[in-house]
Amino acid sequence: MRGRIAATVSVIGELLITAGVIMALFVVYSLWWTNVLADREAERQGNQVRETWAKSPSGPGALDTKDGIGFLHVPAMKNGEVLVKAGTGSKVLNEGVAGFYREPVKAGMPWDKQGNFTLAAHRDGHGAKFHNIDKVRKGDAVVFETRDVWYVYKVYADLKQTSRYNVDVLDSVPKESGKTVPGRFLTLTTCTPVYTSDYRYIVWAELTRTEKVDAKRTPPTELR
Amino acid sequence: MYGWIWRHLPGNAWVRALISLLLALAIVYALFQYVFPWAEPLLPFNDVTVDNGLPAGSAMTEWR
Repeated sequence: MRGRIAATVSVIGELLITAGVIMALFVVYSLWWTNVLADREAERQGNQVRETWAKSPSGPGALDTKDGIGFLHVPAMKNGEVLVKAGTGSKVLNEGVAGFYREPVKAGMPWDKQGNFTLAAHRDGHGAKFHNIDKVRKGDAVVFETRDVWYVYKVYADLKQTSRYNVDVLDSVPKESGKTVPGRFLTLTTCTPVYTSDYRYIVWAELTRTEKVDAKRTPPTELR
Repeated sequence: MYGWIWRHLPGNAWVRALISLLLALAIVYALFQYVFPWAEPLLPFNDVTVDNGLPAGSAMTEWR
């Protein structure tokens, strides 16, 4: 009898230890392994986009959105370039890219006369492309690179914590950022606080100028 | 449980240790390759978009 109780207790103990180890492994998977996979995938797709651009450096085809429409550069986030693709489903975002919204509010495109170019990306894991969003300050530059044009934005407002259901931040004129007249805006959204997704972190920027891409793809001064 | 596995592995202590290591690696592989990718969307750690809380697939091509 005593032997059976002891055996049962020891099996329960081993199961608890196993559960702990599996949870630790899940953390390793979430915060490290998904980054490895996503960064690999994002680099492959980014190279593909650059190759396509190199093949047809001018004329139509610049807005081919299948592989990605361009690259986002946010010097304050210190994460290099982020490929931007259509859609914000987890399949897209898990490739280590930023996605522009198609639901619930369709994003405006940078080349539109007015609108809000709304983007989402992961804060942790899967490339963690917006991990350092809290390092972005008012006045910082956000540059979006397409085949032909550099779109230079300047950050003018942020929302450090908002409800996950606050879709108003995606409006073409985002009132919460203090804007009341249409313009050419850019919105970054991700989850906050880090390692969780209870709330959303929002950064708004406004277009200040555009620059034609030259033959050597010289980046604008903000990126040098 | 682990003691039971250890006693039922063949060979001497070194062979058993090697087999245990291989088993552990196989389990870690299965977790990373199949179990965690399946479990991840079910856990609330990595939603980054704002949405209006509509259920998935409500006449939308790509929700979230």
